[in-house]
Amino acid sequence: MRSGAFIPVAIAALAAAAEPSRSGYVVIVHPGTGVARIDRKLLGEIFLRRATRWPDDSPIRPVDLAPDARARARFAEDVLSRSVASVRSYWQQRIFSGQGLPPPELQDDEVVAYVLSHPGAIGYVTPGTPLNGAKTVALD
Amino acid sequence: MLAVVVAAVAPRARAADLGLPGLLAPLQIHGFVSQGFLVTSANDYLADSSRGSFEFSEVGLNVTLPATDRLTLGVQVFSRKLGPIGDYRAALDWYYLDYHWRDWLGIRAGRVKLPFGLYNDSSDVDAARTAVLLPQSIYPAQNRDFLLAQTGAELYGYKDLGGVGGIDYRLYAGTIFLEVTQQPGSPFTVLNLDVPYVVGGRVLWLPLDGLRLGGSLQLLRLDTDLLPVGSTARVGVKVPATLWVASAEYLVRDFVFAAEYSRWLVETQSSNPSVFPPSSSRSERAYAMATYRANAWFQAGAYYSRLFPNVERRTYPDGVQHDVALTLRFDVNRYLLVKAEGHWMRGTAGLSSTLNGNRPLSALEPHWALFAVKATASF
Repeated sequence: MRSGAFIPVAIAALAAAAEPSRSGYVVIVHPGTGVARIDRKLLGEIFLRRATRWPDDSPIRPVDLAPDARARARFAEDVLSRSVASVRSYWQQRIFSGQGLPPPELQDDEVVAYVLSHPGAIGYVTPGTPLNGAKTVALD
Repeated sequence: MLAVVVAAVAPRARAADLGLPGLLAPLQIHGFVSQGFLVTSANDYLADSSRGSFEFSEVGLNVTLPATDRLTLGVQVFSRKLGPIGDYRAALDWYYLDYHWRDWLGIRAGRVKLPFGLYNDSSDVDAARTAVLLPQSIYPAQNRDFLLAQTGAELYGYKDLGGVGGIDYRLYAGTIFLEVTQQPGSPFTVLNLDVPYVVGGRVLWLPLDGLRLGGSLQLLRLDTDLLPVGSTARVGVKVPATLWVASAEYLVRDFVFAAEYSRWLVETQSSNPSVFPPSSSRSERAYAMATYRANAWFQAGAYYSRLFPNVERRTYPDGVQHDVALTLRFDVNRYLLVKAEGHWMRGTAGLSSTLNGNRPLSALEPHWALFAVKATASF
């Protein structure tokens, strides 16, 4: 009975741990960021630069993947509910009307390096990318 | 001038990259160049279009520098030619100091784009939309100088409302600097032109992913002194205007659906009614638009736009403009795109009598078509 209860719990735990990579990207933050889970809506607001501060008032520094990365397309559709091209249109409207700048766009290993070197940074990478100590974040 | 601006801010950007304060985004430079061609089956529209016109060009270059994690500086130089407007003269399109204190409250001071409707503040950005011409009922290209930017201050912010989405707002107050231009054939000489105030705001509710619902309001007054031809007695004219627009946009996957409805009340008050009679007009403007992105290189869009310059006089053909537009957009690569657009027009409202040999609008061809092609490079 006891082992029968353990198995579903273990499967659920494994599934939760695997969730970021199953979605086609892994969300990472600077190790000093006190965030273990993040709401998908908040994540979207961060990458559209509507949310710019962590709860402790420190600046959020999002970093994007390059437009041709497969994980970028998955992230845009899953979190921002739009295509990469639509995200580009959104930023063009903001850039040329003086309303804001997009996050930097980097390759997987550069995203990891950026997140590690910038307190408050948050990014996402292709599953399997060496994280070198960057903290993974689960999505709610 | 741009080179001077870039040279002035670049050393600071390098300092920021080196760690003073160290973790800021570097200075960014973006720009675009557009060249279009307009041709109409009848009537001249925006340019000498009945013979085909290449007087449809735009160039913009901007520099944005995050000076601290709350303070941003930006400037854009813009030049354009659209028929009789622009003459390729470069001007500061916008410039600002932006202090972003909290997500729900920031302040910008300088020359700031006016948030009127969904697309007014980005109406110069050809690459950011499918259509060549935004619906001209609400975004008239010939009124750009009056409607695009104000010099003053703006409060803005975004407030998350939890399960019911979020609110995005912008509130502004300032003035608009206008150049005195003489209309050929006008019975008056314009001595001066001032906008003592422009105030307004836009509030958008974002209840779900991709959905924006909201409204914009703008109040302004234009003051001018006119000198009738052959007279030395000037006439003072004040033109208070109230503009509002209700907006809805839904972006779902590769579709965008948008609709807006607007009314503009414009009064004319005169110090000498016998020479310049006072008047009042209430215009009605609306459109519905849909666009679809088929893949990374092809988009299609269509809209229906309707303009009644005076709701008390919806006479055909000069009291109405119906515009059905169809656009094809091809993104050659990330930096270059080409668009082709056809318009089927019914009615002559929105046309310029001056561009059409000073003929009254009622005498112009009521059924006409416009074809536009435009190429834009941006980075």
